[in-house]
Amino acid sequence: MQLLVNALIAGSLAALIAGGLALVYGLLGIFNLALGQTVLLGGYATWFLYQELHLPLTVSILGGVLVGILFTALTFEIFVNPFYRLHRFLPLVTTIALSMIFDGIILLLFQSSPKSIVPGLSPIQKIAGASISNEQLLLIGATLILLLLCAYILHATPLGRRIRATVQHEHAAMSLGIPTGFLFRSVFILSEALAAAGGIFIGIDQNLSPTLAFPITIKAYAAIIAGGKGNFWGAILCAYLIALLEQLLIGIHWFGAFYVPAGYQSTVALLFIIVFLLLKPTGLFVTHSRTA
Amino acid sequence: MKKHLSTSSLALAIALLASCAPTKEPIKIGYIGPLTGEAASYGADTLNGTKLAIEEINAAGGINGREVVLIAEDGRCTGADAASAAQKLVNIDGVIAIIGGQCSGETLAAAPIAEAGQVVMISPVSSSQDVTEAGDFIFRDYPSDALKTKAMATYLAKEGFAKMAMMTENTDFATAFRNALTADLGEEHIVFNEVVEPGTKDFRTLITRLKATDFDIFFPNAQSDAVMAAMMQQLREQDLTQTAITHDVGDSATLGEIATEAVEGLLVIAVPSAGEDGSFGATYKEKFGEAQATMSFAAHAYDAMNVLAKVMETAGTTGTAIRDGLYALQGHTGIVGTFHFDENGDVVGIPYALKTFQNGKIVTLESIPTE
Repeated sequence: MQLLVNALIAGSLAALIAGGLALVYGLLGIFNLALGQTVLLGGYATWFLYQELHLPLTVSILGGVLVGILFTALTFEIFVNPFYRLHRFLPLVTTIALSMIFDGIILLLFQSSPKSIVPGLSPIQKIAGASISNEQLLLIGATLILLLLCAYILHATPLGRRIRATVQHEHAAMSLGIPTGFLFRSVFILSEALAAAGGIFIGIDQNLSPTLAFPITIKAYAAIIAGGKGNFWGAILCAYLIALLEQLLIGIHWFGAFYVPAGYQSTVALLFIIVFLLLKPTGLFVTHSRTA
Repeated sequence: MKKHLSTSSLALAIALLASCAPTKEPIKIGYIGPLTGEAASYGADTLNGTKLAIEEINAAGGINGREVVLIAEDGRCTGADAASAAQKLVNIDGVIAIIGGQCSGETLAAAPIAEAGQVVMISPVSSSQDVTEAGDFIFRDYPSDALKTKAMATYLAKEGFAKMAMMTENTDFATAFRNALTADLGEEHIVFNEVVEPGTKDFRTLITRLKATDFDIFFPNAQSDAVMAAMMQQLREQDLTQTAITHDVGDSATLGEIATEAVEGLLVIAVPSAGEDGSFGATYKEKFGEAQATMSFAAHAYDAMNVLAKVMETAGTTGTAIRDGLYALQGHTGIVGTFHFDENGDVVGIPYALKTFQNGKIVTLESIPTE
């Protein structure tokens, strides 16, 4: 039971970031390697508002997401949009540059010592024998609501249909009167708002240090590959699945005989990528895309 | 007094000599440390400590009239980055000596390159016992873990702790500490022994497993305070109340700030606090603000640079002369204490202290002398 709770906590975090990645890469097809930096920025901004300016926590969290959104809007206009039109892969290069610049800026602004948005311990609840803190319950709940909302909009509303149409064929969509530029921009920004929320999650549950973004990004990539490119539901489900497998791998007394050393935990996501690319490159939940 | 007179007159004589010597070129000193990455707080403190020493040396007229310039390179707390940093410093910049590395992994990887180029390297904070054997040109003014694991084992035996649960971050420093401690405690006293990837911050499942283990002392063997904070928080969140003990990484004010009551009562065996009070700490804070990890890291770097300058003043600036000068040094009084180097380049004269967290602040309980 505790294992399930552990997986839920880790999985929620992974799913938030995978959700962001599923939008930007899965849907728009843009490689944004600065996603991890948005994660950090969201976390650090919230930390600053809450711990340094002493604003209420909810205001700080909203502020953190807002900073993430502003940063993303800037990223999109300067580093992605001008290049994306020229070649699909160009943002790959420009966002690497951006991520490096930003790593440096974060180090300058917030220095290298770790930061925690809510330091110390929080009250623990016992649910069916498993310990979980109030904050973690809230985080898990908030993540689910956020992601379900995104998935619902994307897959079950007219707006979502327009977005998917834009992605499938931009010019055709435009000729039908869909404001493609606007939709493109908003999906990109939404993706990073999710990422910023992920950073806030880390800052509340663990602590922030300037280098933590990379391993999470790897897990997110594994989740969207396994979930099927362009499938938001799939990516999220797989993020939870990977987290669960990670916890089970090292948490179970295998065959009553041995424990798998904890060092192997991080291989789960990588194995996931390899297995799926080899056996089922389209992902677990393939959506039938129509070809003209 | 007499000795004082003779050294100062010697310095004067050399200063006179130097003033007519032709070379006025600046003396290049290299620095290797984690300026970015998970351990960047060690880099910030030690780099600032080194800078402060160099500023004071230059303000006092440099070394024999020659200005000291610092070339800092990022070792990222990894061997690979430290090795390429050392390559650049030794072979391209042609530095006279290096202050670094900071993480033991950095020092061990940079050592062969410094050794081959006959460049003296003094590490301010590397404590892995492997550094003892790293080479003839490699020094450190931070005591080796070889003695610290013994001190920890002695303390645990004295207090009657016999079942240790240990979580180790997979870095050179932490795994070397784990191996030495396992040897000193005896394998039968370690009931839980897991190694995790560097930077891991999710220990919940390991701690769930720990709940089913019968242990009386917990040892978070992390490379950085960020990771140690996560270990301690998640341990206490699952209602495990056993005593915890750790090494120098726990000697971090930041740890008290971010983990607060989770580290209350955490025992730390580390070098004595140094530089916090007094003029060094005051000057440091005025220039750079609060230390990122601990002021004593800055103090060790400051002393390493000063001891180097002191030797260069008399011995000159060739690698072998500096090396011999350091071995011959008879007690240098710096911020961290009065010390010299033994035949392996290890520091002699720095004891340990047992500290603990009380109300989020680090207090010293007792001093542990080293034999």
